[in-house]
Amino acid sequence: MTTDTAGYTGARLLADTIDALAERAPAVLAAAAEQMRGIRLGLRFNDGSAVSLTVRHSRLVIGPAAESDVEVAFDDRAMNLLFDLQRHPSDQVLPDSLDVRGESDRVLAVWRAFSLLSQRAAGLRFVQGLWRDYRHHRPQLWGHAIPAPAPEPDASEPGGWHALDYLERRRPEATRTDDETRVGGTVTTRPRLLWDGRDSTPWWDELPIADADLYDTMKACRARVAAEMTRLVPDREPRADLYSLVREYPARQGKGLRPTLTIAACAAFGGRPRDAVRAAAALELFHNGFLVHDDIADESTHRRGLPTLHARYGEGLAVNVGDALNLLAIDAVLSNLETLGLARTLALIRETLHMCRESVEGQAIELGWIHRNAVPGTDDDYFLMSTKKTGWYTCISPCRIGAVCAGVTDPRVLDRFDEAFRLIGIAFQIQDDLLNLVGDQAKYGKELLGDLLEGKRTVMLIHLLRTVADPAERKQLTAILGKRRPDKTRRDADTLLAAMRAAGSIDYAVDLADRLAARGIDHFERDLDIIPDNEGKAVLRQIAHYVTTRPL
Amino acid sequence: MPLRAPLERRWLHYAFLSRDSGQSVIANLSALGPDGDGHAPHRTTILLVHDREHGWHSSQFNADRPDHPWSSFRSPHAIGVAGDFDVAARTGVPAVKLRLRRTGRPCTSQSAAFGGGEHLRWQSEPGVLASGLVRLPGIERDVELLGYHERVRGRWSWPALGGWVFGFVNDPVGRSDEPPPTAVVFTLIQSRDPRAAASGSVMLWRRGRLVRHFPRRAFQVAVHDVLDRDQVVLVPPLARALGTAPAASVPRRLLITARSGSDRLLLDFRGSTAARIANPCETGLPAFSVHETLGACHVEGVVAGRRLDFQAPGIVEFAGGTGDADDH
Repeated sequence: MTTDTAGYTGARLLADTIDALAERAPAVLAAAAEQMRGIRLGLRFNDGSAVSLTVRHSRLVIGPAAESDVEVAFDDRAMNLLFDLQRHPSDQVLPDSLDVRGESDRVLAVWRAFSLLSQRAAGLRFVQGLWRDYRHHRPQLWGHAIPAPAPEPDASEPGGWHALDYLERRRPEATRTDDETRVGGTVTTRPRLLWDGRDSTPWWDELPIADADLYDTMKACRARVAAEMTRLVPDREPRADLYSLVREYPARQGKGLRPTLTIAACAAFGGRPRDAVRAAAALELFHNGFLVHDDIADESTHRRGLPTLHARYGEGLAVNVGDALNLLAIDAVLSNLETLGLARTLALIRETLHMCRESVEGQAIELGWIHRNAVPGTDDDYFLMSTKKTGWYTCISPCRIGAVCAGVTDPRVLDRFDEAFRLIGIAFQIQDDLLNLVGDQAKYGKELLGDLLEGKRTVMLIHLLRTVADPAERKQLTAILGKRRPDKTRRDADTLLAAMRAAGSIDYAVDLADRLAARGIDHFERDLDIIPDNEGKAVLRQIAHYVTTRPL
Repeated sequence: MPLRAPLERRWLHYAFLSRDSGQSVIANLSALGPDGDGHAPHRTTILLVHDREHGWHSSQFNADRPDHPWSSFRSPHAIGVAGDFDVAARTGVPAVKLRLRRTGRPCTSQSAAFGGGEHLRWQSEPGVLASGLVRLPGIERDVELLGYHERVRGRWSWPALGGWVFGFVNDPVGRSDEPPPTAVVFTLIQSRDPRAAASGSVMLWRRGRLVRHFPRRAFQVAVHDVLDRDQVVLVPPLARALGTAPAASVPRRLLITARSGSDRLLLDFRGSTAARIANPCETGLPAFSVHETLGACHVEGVVAGRRLDFQAPGIVEFAGGTGDADDH
């Protein structure tokens, strides 16, 4: 968020809003980007600032003012009404307040995109806070049309004694200051009447919530699951050679995707977030156990920005730590018996066993390819391996396990997660592999080009070897791939990367990830329509779109 | 009168709060008509205790109860004369051993008709005093409580009844052996069949006497936000073990405005925790849920020319809202 007053411009506000939505509610941005595809939008504000807005893949990209297809100029009245907390979004328009120029179909597309942005983002508490902050620091951007507070009602007045009036205007809820580990409550909803003196609306008819704040939810889920993992790891001897090491990888916190999926799926089905925390912690322990072993198998040197466990303490201790993490994870799953009861715990054991089986099978497929210096010929081979190795434990199983924690054990319901999150999981893995090649190491955490050094069979590599026609080049690439990791040099990795760029493998993978994610999102909306629109489902939706808007 | 038909019901409900809201006691003693000739009526009793430090504790539905429970509706007691009220889980905890005393006069909150000849009559009595012992695992506390008692009789079933929202608040100031200066009770029946049969009332007691009854056309009820699901505890313990299906979220804030002539009343309740009682439903497998919600309540207004303005702990009950109960 901007800190100096001079930075509080209309252009900066738009950029901050787009950045916040990319991180917190990517589904909103994806919907807006869908409307604006192929249109270059120019925006000017009454403080003199200007920007351009374009669409790249499913991302809205802010840039300096440039030639545009549609130009929009906001005056202070338009700013006052756009995103105004006091007014309904449909009341935004004032005559002559907006100057919009361009071809009519494109103007309408831009209007749809902004309607989507304002209507769907306006309920997020963070976005409300962002705009309040700007309005406080640069009130001139908005003019001075802030409505006065409503007067107290007069007992003799015939009207003015309405329950909604109190909740909306006279005694609105103050900004919530719940502690950071609370899951939910990232959006505001409107008060509603249960009884107006004539008609009744059941109290259990909840208002649908389509979007939620992914960032805040992830933060809360990460914190709760990290605390649970700390509790699950024993504080006893041998500390130096086992339990202290067991804590190392869990302490190197990741994004918190799995904990969020698990807890959100539980909440989506009406369960208590608390009931999914231990299962989510068990998944994280399994995951960290797999990582320790995976790093040894891949001969990786870095994990989440620090040396890998075996690089620091040797392979013997590291293997044992991986085993211990898996044991602790099993113990954690079983310990749900006392809180969730027998039926749900049995279902959790079943789901966990399935997840572990998929993971070791996927790992076997990939290690077999590397061992034989084979590169699969089709993307489908990669999809199968990726789904087994990471798709189940990263995406599909967390959702299913979260639903089980809420009391759902019917396979026909649980299976509805599979196809959506299989596709999203593959897209996510492709993106992760792309980040290893073209990402920012500080943000990415792993060693850049590490996948090329360890010979990981990625979509880019498969595409490259499928595309390269020159036998000499193919021979050279195969020879590099056949080297053991310690024998590969940075130059070898650079050669592979250059060949991928030349063959268009990077762009191919970006496009493929986008298409897979879009199919996954389509399945999400269709297959999971049995879940009502609530905040838990809204978080799952944001994660489904997270892949398409994650910056590369 | 003995219960004869399967859906005939008689509920005695008790709810008490300590003046600092540190302890809350809720008990429901229910009787349901027999399944047929020669069968005895079904009797269930559940006891819930909430302690600020130790959270919710609940018996199963088979709590031990008095043969002749204290109730001014069953056998009228003189004001100020105490009667025993001992209810305990079969395991021994939670348990309450209380002496109850009336301080005011009960009154009918509403008589509602809905469904195919179904009906209920709801009678309320705020300002009931309770003193004695509350027992939780490893803890025993002497308590002085102020609360509410009701009787609901009639013949009803789900889903015809749908659900209800009901609550009470007693102004806790004044001497502990006197009726509260002010007490408010409200009821809103949200029948599902037919929807138009919804009915309700808001009632105000002053020093033990009912001084105003706002009929259903004279008040509004609104809600905002939902209670954090982590603050909703499923009871009785057996319901957790059975993996009872989730229910709708409980509203976090409830606001009632009532107006009649120059009288007006505002009740603003903010829930903080709730126990969801999963009741076995006689007409199908899915449970019917009653959420006992504890929270802070602010009451203000002008009634009969006198201003009132107080804050006190209150209890609001949200009944219904189990999605799968809709499928009966």
